[in-house]
Amino acid sequence: MTKTTALIFGHNKYAYEIIKNLKDKYNSIKVYSLDESDKKEGLYDVELFDLSDEWEEIDNNVDIENSIAFCALEDPSENIFLTISLRSSFENLTIITIASNKENSDKLKMAGATKVIPIVETTSDIIANVLEKPVSNKVLHSILYEESDLKIAQIKIDDTSHFKDEKLKSIDWTRYNGILVLSVMHEDMQSEFIYSNKAKEHVIKSGDILVIVGYEKDIQEFENLIGSKRYVNWSHWSR
Amino acid sequence: MIKSLILDAAYFLNTSKKYQSFKNFFYNILENDKCKYKKYIDIFMIILIFISVGVLIREVKHHVNDYLMFFSNYVISIIFFIEYMLRLWVNSSVSEIIVKRAEHDTFLLREVNLYKAFKKILKVKLSYMASPKAIIDLLAILPFFHELRLLRIFILFRVFKLFRYAKSLQILSSVLATKKFEFFTLGIFAFVVIFISSVLIYVMEGNRADSPVDTLFEALYWAIVTISTVGYGDIVPVTSEGRFVAVIVIIAGIAVLAFTTSLFVSAFTEKLEEIKEIKTIENIAKLKKFYLICGYENVAREVARKLSKSGHNIIVLDEDTQRVENAKMDGYTTLNYNPGNKESYEKLNIDMQKQLKGVLCLRENDVDNVYAALTIRSLNKDVMILSLLNNDANRNKLEFVGINKIVYPQELVGLITKELVGKPVAFEVIHELRSEDSDVIIDEIGITKRIVENFPTVGDLNNKHYSIVLLGVYKHEKDRFYFNPLDSTLLEAGDYLLVIGYQVYIKEFEKYLHTRVHDD
Repeated sequence: MTKTTALIFGHNKYAYEIIKNLKDKYNSIKVYSLDESDKKEGLYDVELFDLSDEWEEIDNNVDIENSIAFCALEDPSENIFLTISLRSSFENLTIITIASNKENSDKLKMAGATKVIPIVETTSDIIANVLEKPVSNKVLHSILYEESDLKIAQIKIDDTSHFKDEKLKSIDWTRYNGILVLSVMHEDMQSEFIYSNKAKEHVIKSGDILVIVGYEKDIQEFENLIGSKRYVNWSHWSR
Repeated sequence: MIKSLILDAAYFLNTSKKYQSFKNFFYNILENDKCKYKKYIDIFMIILIFISVGVLIREVKHHVNDYLMFFSNYVISIIFFIEYMLRLWVNSSVSEIIVKRAEHDTFLLREVNLYKAFKKILKVKLSYMASPKAIIDLLAILPFFHELRLLRIFILFRVFKLFRYAKSLQILSSVLATKKFEFFTLGIFAFVVIFISSVLIYVMEGNRADSPVDTLFEALYWAIVTISTVGYGDIVPVTSEGRFVAVIVIIAGIAVLAFTTSLFVSAFTEKLEEIKEIKTIENIAKLKKFYLICGYENVAREVARKLSKSGHNIIVLDEDTQRVENAKMDGYTTLNYNPGNKESYEKLNIDMQKQLKGVLCLRENDVDNVYAALTIRSLNKDVMILSLLNNDANRNKLEFVGINKIVYPQELVGLITKELVGKPVAFEVIHELRSEDSDVIIDEIGITKRIVENFPTVGDLNNKHYSIVLLGVYKHEKDRFYFNPLDSTLLEAGDYLLVIGYQVYIKEFEKYLHTRVHDD
């Protein structure tokens, strides 16, 4: 079940970039600001909110079950407070927040954020990767951010799959030349690299998930061959 | 006739590339600290100095091998003489002085006055010969005339030559030179006290049979021993008047000692930062390759940490004292220079083309980043510049000054949120592969000519044996990435293998590619 509404808290450059990237993905995007002057700017339909625990208006007007929240307030303490406030009112809401540094990132996780984007760490990661591994950075960037045909997907092994009960290392992967298997994920969401000692001896069972890289058509072909379905897991998005 | 010959010779030497590069070579190995061969010459000279001193000490009570003696007295002296003459030669240009004089006189429609040119040459050369360093060099040659016993002691003057070759000694003398006036004043004061007290003690005790002071020299010796607060006790005053003089000298001695100590301390304190800066610049000059980070704030701190962890050299420039302190505390070579100032790079004195891997303008302020980038671009057109962009409205300005790569954190956040909700799996996997704390990483291995010779195709690589997933081959020529290539795919020099695996195994695999000769 995909989410239909994005709730964006904050009216700044981060919020602007988030909206720019999400507007095609959600039926509705709601922007909330603490500052009344933001309403007059008219870039988006901005609604006011405060940091109290009164979320009645949102609760009544928004389908929270099918919403995702982005906390992009510039003041770190306000962002943490907002995250706590949202989490205490909506237990299953997916909350993605930005954090200025590692310390705030840890606090936001404690406050109940589903996913934290540490800005400084992320930016420095990108810079270090551009400098040190330009080629791999280019390829990974195209997989992630561009409309590349190359994709990373996860395939769930079900009862009917003919990989079931086989040892991972005994499978001749060359037969599936269009794809590469990177790792196997167990039901407890623990991921094992394909060549790790554990994975080598691992007997595939129903519920296991294979993380694979390949072109769209090859992934589809692989799915048909092994009789499993591509599986996008949202369970790790909820607490 | 002679005049025109001299002029022709001067013009010839002054314009001859061969002669100039020959002279330049000697100048570099003798005087230019940045020349990589100079340190070998310095070390060689230092060894020669210690050999001579060693021989001098040894021959006091033992017989020294004749060959060694010959080497110490003649060979080393001749080497020092050659060095002295070379330094005298490279210190100024005779031909240039003559040419300048000729041009000057010709311009004013006068007869060329060689007499004035020679006068100037003499003045320049003599001023060099009168410099303390040149005098020490000359004294170091004197042991050549070792038959004159007194001149053998000049071997010790060779030790002073160490000032020429040891940088720290040069710094010491330059630091003390800043307090020339104070030391002169102190010297005058000490001289007056010594002179008066030695005369006084001689007058008071010179005629006393029970006093050890017999001569003026003994009085002078006593005064120096007392004023220096050493006080051997071999000569002591016996009269009350003499003891009174001693009290005065002792008090003056304490003042002299305190004054001397304070002079040394204040000279070093004042020059400490400068000395450190000189040392830092010298160390930077020795680096083969490094990243220059302009501005040390949050992102810069993280980037520096990641790059230095991967073994890259980092140099930080920042104009803000507090940020410079932070960078130093984090252990990076840092200079308190303004990155947007041309003078900073002149002081830094680096070869941008050879030494810089890239410049990272990471201030959280677009104006400063543009300014720094523009300054660097004006000095070098090719060096890679990466900059942080803080406000999207300034993007075109950053592009305009020639920044190669712009990183805009807000845009990154937008893209990441899009991936988080659209491709959570890919995002998690890639995030994991990029993470520095992960065991399994993605890495790239450059294909060299040698690797191609031993492993012509992808099938020859045997990466599975090393538990490595070959994600694909990036063909540099075509700027194209070939995902999961067939075994028959040919490898070419300049290609990159994109591999995923454990860090340790990737290192092993890379070693195997570089060292193993493939069996056909």
